[in-house]
Amino acid sequence: MSQAKFFDLARPSRQHLLGYILLAPAVLLVGLIIVYPLIVSVDLSFQEVKLARIGADRKPFSTANYEKLFASAEFWLSCWVTIKLVVVVTIGSLLMGMSTALLVNNRFRGLTAARLVMALPWAVPEIIAVVVFAWIFDSTFGLMSWFLVTLGFADGMVAWVSTPGAAFWALALTMIWKGFPFVSIMTLAGLQSIPTDLYAAAKVDGAGALQRFRWITLPLLMPVLGVILVLVILWVFRDFSIIKTLTEGGPLKSTQTLSIMTYDQAFGFFNFGYASAIGVVTLVVCVVVSLLMLGRNSKAMY
Amino acid sequence: MTTLFKRGLTATSLALLLSGTALAPAAMADTTLKFVSWQVDDAGTGDWWKAAIAEFEAGNPGVKVEFTKVERSAYADTMTTLFAGGNPPQIVHLASFEYQAFAENGWMENLGPWLKKDSIDMTGWAGQDKCLWNGETACIMMSYFGYIMAYNKKILDDAGLAVPTDWNSYLDVARKTTRDLNGDGIPDQFGTGHETKGGAGQYLTEMLSYVLDAGAYWTNAEGKITINTPQMIEGLTRWKTVVKEGLTPVDMSAGDVRKLFADGKIALKLDGPWLYGTMKKGGAAADTVMAAPPFSPPLGGSSNVLGMASEIPDEEKALVWDFIKLVMSPEWQTKYATVGNNTPPRPGTNTAGVEATTPHFDLLIQTMKAASDAGVDRIPTGLEIQYNEFGKMVQEEVQRMLIEDLDPAAVVKTIQVKAEVIQKG
Repeated sequence: MSQAKFFDLARPSRQHLLGYILLAPAVLLVGLIIVYPLIVSVDLSFQEVKLARIGADRKPFSTANYEKLFASAEFWLSCWVTIKLVVVVTIGSLLMGMSTALLVNNRFRGLTAARLVMALPWAVPEIIAVVVFAWIFDSTFGLMSWFLVTLGFADGMVAWVSTPGAAFWALALTMIWKGFPFVSIMTLAGLQSIPTDLYAAAKVDGAGALQRFRWITLPLLMPVLGVILVLVILWVFRDFSIIKTLTEGGPLKSTQTLSIMTYDQAFGFFNFGYASAIGVVTLVVCVVVSLLMLGRNSKAMY
Repeated sequence: MTTLFKRGLTATSLALLLSGTALAPAAMADTTLKFVSWQVDDAGTGDWWKAAIAEFEAGNPGVKVEFTKVERSAYADTMTTLFAGGNPPQIVHLASFEYQAFAENGWMENLGPWLKKDSIDMTGWAGQDKCLWNGETACIMMSYFGYIMAYNKKILDDAGLAVPTDWNSYLDVARKTTRDLNGDGIPDQFGTGHETKGGAGQYLTEMLSYVLDAGAYWTNAEGKITINTPQMIEGLTRWKTVVKEGLTPVDMSAGDVRKLFADGKIALKLDGPWLYGTMKKGGAAADTVMAAPPFSPPLGGSSNVLGMASEIPDEEKALVWDFIKLVMSPEWQTKYATVGNNTPPRPGTNTAGVEATTPHFDLLIQTMKAASDAGVDRIPTGLEIQYNEFGKMVQEEVQRMLIEDLDPAAVVKTIQVKAEVIQKG
């Protein structure tokens, strides 16, 4: 009888149990596919391991990977490249995304088509988009170089992928193209939640378009923009497939971000311990950036 | 509560025991051997593997070989993950430049005792010495090849040029056949073609014909780094000339460059035997011809190896060994030539009749022997385990030479120092 009462989930005092039971599979799954690998990675980063193996004897605790990492010029270069890419792609995506969102927030003929075109890059699978851009930036027969030569801006074909500066900008443009629709869609949702009364009142008070944008649109969008900013920064920080397919981190490591460096060390040079250390540092940076950005922007509202 | 728990535990144990007992005989009768490869869909080689698997399965009822394709670009990652997760394929197929890391970690079975048990003599087996790791036979060399030079006869004839026979005539032909055909200021026909995008290993391979012909190599037979030499300076100078003068398209994958050659946009192409498959399907198939490379020694080397995972049950090891023995047999080595269009590594393999499908087969044998006799391989002795890291470093320094227009004499000094650091670990 007492057992039956204990498992009677309809009782008000037992209702929380039902919640835990329903949540349990998801929590277990998250623990299995996120927390466990995370623990393994942190553990590996404190061991001098070449090729890791599940169930293998643990090697002695060592901080050698972190000492090597912080003394490595390659690591600091990758940090610099990552920061540059984060800044350029985030600013580019935000500007493009906000501009297009403001555009399609107005009523005009062909609005539906415009919204579709705006969202299209987001719908294209990342790898296909990169292959298309790889052809556009091809150094021998690429469309971009052909345009530059035809319009007289270049004497010959530009070696996009084998020139450090050009490779970085080719990569940044590709990432902006792939990333801006997400900003657009989110911003558009934010714009449509702003009451129109505010704009009407501002117009009555004689506010121009720029003033309305500065004093109504922007402040009310800040919570949305804060979240967008964090998500875009994290996306650029951890993106791997675009860089790997387009430039492989080269030339001369000019596009080698922390995620590419992690991959190369793990699967290229079989330094799993060292690669784990890079991964852990990347994770810490991402967490810190997220906390800072969310804390700052989510409060910037009337 | 306790009683309920005990009952539940007993019922679960019983169910597990029953299901285990019921499954046991089926598992013994139906063994599946996993075999992962990047060659599954390769014209010729893939067909040969599939035929060998069919024969093996016919001779071993109840045994199935699960032949799965993994793209070459993701191959090392996939195999590393499979081994690291404790779930390796029983039949291990790896590139000859990557098996060392697996063998070093104890993941590859020593095939020496298996060869001894069946009294198999590996003397003369092309490239087999590259399968010796830490004194053990970690694998069987499946392919050792020599480079050939294919050329577009029409392009050479139109320009009134003869087939090159050495570096100087090669450079002359490459320069005279690199042209802007439609006058838009962009070259659309190239003298030669190399992959300059992609992995470091391939980048080094592309350079190596020029380096070897100049008398240089990365290490000597004892594994000592031998990069800072006048011969290496000459080799790098040749590579710099070809790339900087735009005699090759740049930043293209190997497949794209082969396609360009096959479609008549490249005059000369140094490549392995596999080029023939693309040539036959190309738009300029009637104009492309294979010839001996104008460089001595020709580039050649080991390609891929077959082995056995060390941590699998003994019964599975015996089956895997039977499969390896089958593909090593004279009959299947002959088919490696006739079906796979490859040069079989087994000495004395009967390749009569292969000319019907591969007219240039004698040439392939000739260049393979020339490379083998000269001890040429793409993987430098003493840098096997660090090959990827070494390759990446060389690729970057050579790219720096091209981008910053550095003197090859200075570049070889830098590479020598960095290679020594990598070798010391």
